Amino acid sequence: MLKQTTAVTLLNLRSIPQRWGMSLATVLSIALVVGVLLGFMAMASGFRATVDGAGSDDVAIMLRGGAMAEMNSTVSRDDVRLVEIAPGIAAGENGEALISAELYVVADGIKRTTQTRANLALRGVGQYGPQLRPQFSLVEGRMFSPGTAELVVGASVLREFDGFELGQSIRLGNNEWTVVGVFSTGGSVFDSEIWADLGVIQNLYDRGSSVQTIRARLTSPDAIEALREYVENEPRLNLEVLSERAYFARSAGGTTNLIMFLGWPLAFAMAIGALAGAWNAMYASVDARTRELATLRAIGFGGLPAFTAAMAEALVLAFAGGLIGAVATYLLFDGVSASTLGSGFTQVVFAFAVTPDAVVQGVILALIVGFLGGFIPAIRAARIPLLAVHND
Amino acid sequence: MNDATLIRKNLFRKRLRAILLMVSILVAFLIFGVLGALQNAFSMGSGTAAQERLVTVNRINFTVALPYAYWGRIQQVEGVRNAAPASWFGGYYQEPQNFVQSFAVDPETYLAAYPTEIVLPPEERAAFLEGRTCAVVGRALANQYDWSTGDRIPLMSNIWQNTDGSQAWELDICGVFDDTEGTYPTNYLMLHYEYFNESLLFGRDSFHWITINTTDPALNDQVSQDIDALFANSSAETSTTTEAAFNEAFMEQFGNIGLILTWVIGAAFATILMIVGTTMVMAVNERTREIAVLKTLGFTAPRIFRMVLWESLLLSFIGGLIGLGLASLAAAAASGALAGFLPAFGLSLTNIVTALILMAALGIVTGILPAYNAMQVRISEALGKI
Repeated sequence: MLKQTTAVTLLNLRSIPQRWGMSLATVLSIALVVGVLLGFMAMASGFRATVDGAGSDDVAIMLRGGAMAEMNSTVSRDDVRLVEIAPGIAAGENGEALISAELYVVADGIKRTTQTRANLALRGVGQYGPQLRPQFSLVEGRMFSPGTAELVVGASVLREFDGFELGQSIRLGNNEWTVVGVFSTGGSVFDSEIWADLGVIQNLYDRGSSVQTIRARLTSPDAIEALREYVENEPRLNLEVLSERAYFARSAGGTTNLIMFLGWPLAFAMAIGALAGAWNAMYASVDARTRELATLRAIGFGGLPAFTAAMAEALVLAFAGGLIGAVATYLLFDGVSASTLGSGFTQVVFAFAVTPDAVVQGVILALIVGFLGGFIPAIRAARIPLLAVHND
Repeated sequence: MNDATLIRKNLFRKRLRAILLMVSILVAFLIFGVLGALQNAFSMGSGTAAQERLVTVNRINFTVALPYAYWGRIQQVEGVRNAAPASWFGGYYQEPQNFVQSFAVDPETYLAAYPTEIVLPPEERAAFLEGRTCAVVGRALANQYDWSTGDRIPLMSNIWQNTDGSQAWELDICGVFDDTEGTYPTNYLMLHYEYFNESLLFGRDSFHWITINTTDPALNDQVSQDIDALFANSSAETSTTTEAAFNEAFMEQFGNIGLILTWVIGAAFATILMIVGTTMVMAVNERTREIAVLKTLGFTAPRIFRMVLWESLLLSFIGGLIGLGLASLAAAAASGALAGFLPAFGLSLTNIVTALILMAALGIVTGILPAYNAMQVRISEALGKI
């Protein structure tokens, strides 16, 4: 039985080139389905990796209650002082609390690809700003000097936007700035930002002494509970305390969900189209071999080998399609840099990421299409009557 | 039995195969229709009326406010017929996740800026102009939160603080507005600027943008230059563009949505082109002997060519039209589900015409080779092939 099955299957697979037109159409249509699915998944996971990767468990972020996003929040100088003495916060070199009061404003950048204006985040940070980003490093140049109109720009900003090269002077809003450094935080969302001295931003953008957020290094991830309790019991404070990871997970959710909300139904609809194609191709294949299969039956082969052989053909075609789709998507899209409007109303630069997990899902989808498309034709193959030998 | 019957019989000679092909064509046009409708939603607000309206924002960025006094000065500019200031309220209802797109506007000038787009019954309009705490809500938004005229709602802001210490403004819903035939979004709420401004804890007497109607669209360039020149070298310089250009620039920030949609539609069509194309060639090859018999009976080669071509056209149009029909149903359903994020969307006439052209093109492209093959069939060869 096993021998029969192997023989018929090999016979079947070797004859695929005789039906190359339909077979190729099946393979390519399945490849396109997988390509579309993986394209959307690469976009979603690239965006998620960038935004989620920014969040750390031992950094707490505090915003005004109900503000949801940094952009909408206002925190006064007095609030910052109250947080400085809160429990659970690690100490810096000279014993001060390791916190960074920050403020960002929106500045215009020109996208290199389209030459259109897009919002960039111009963030004012204090001396501990870099220390609160675990992977912060200066790639080129130096840090800005406090009190001057100097900027350091994220590596992604430099890559995607015009005019931020080291040493350049650039006009943002009504002010002239000089780029003195380029920093990287390992591809996280901060790489899409421009940083300057907090005091200078407050001054130039007329914000007095107010900020938007307070970031604090916690002594341990669990210390956030002590900090939260302190903030809630302090009547002068109306702040929401979140771990940075939770904050970014919340803001990444909307966009990634939207991408997947589009990607899966589209891939599913296209899979139905490809399913019809595979079904057709398999019918054609079985039809073309009617006499051959009937002859095999006549010389003693059972129905099961015919069924298995047809299924094998369908699955091989589908698998090839899935693989071609995955490889093509990887070559075309993996690492491609793109940017979109993030939750902070500013551009987030991210790279498409074709993950192994997504490839597996794509190939599984391809195999499901192959299985469903091959099933009925395979049953038909197994049931070909002996008298079909006389077919012309 | 005429040619039409023959064509139909030929198409459905293998019923399952014909249905499968129709399903794959249907899916491609379903995708085309739904994505086309979605793209309409994104490009809404760049129609002709929007090309004739101007928008003035802070030159730094539209998120940065302009002083209230600018309103009066812009009204004085020659060629300005109506100027309507508005502030972004950043509203939410009950929970921060329940985002409510909401603007604090000067009711009289704002309604005048959109005379045909915003459709509000006269008595509701009068109530809105009169009542300080009145708000009017777009149909899509009203449906989303089940609001109706007469409701009183506290609308929270994620930006502003009220002098009473809260972040809420109590609003009376005085009316629900519609749009004219899906040309303008109805997914937002308008409240009185005066009511909003007087109880602001900070950021009083400023607004985010001002919508301008000119006396003559031909003056638009001049008017925008005059306005921007008026505030040049001040602490808040302005940037004035057409509303269409402003909306496009904003949508552009999300990325090249049009390009992504084109890629997906292209992939869907490449798929069916291959499947339908190869199947049609095969289907006609199977019939070689039959075609030879037809020729023997006196069917001319061009007549056979036409019959095969009609067959593939018929296939394409049956699948395509059903797909397009389903797409308009799906667009209506999705439009309801996404009411909070996107304006109501549906298929436009352009979408439908393009789809019909695509159906014809698909029918011809997939039919031309088999039709040619059929025409070339030689009676002696085909019938001698036993």
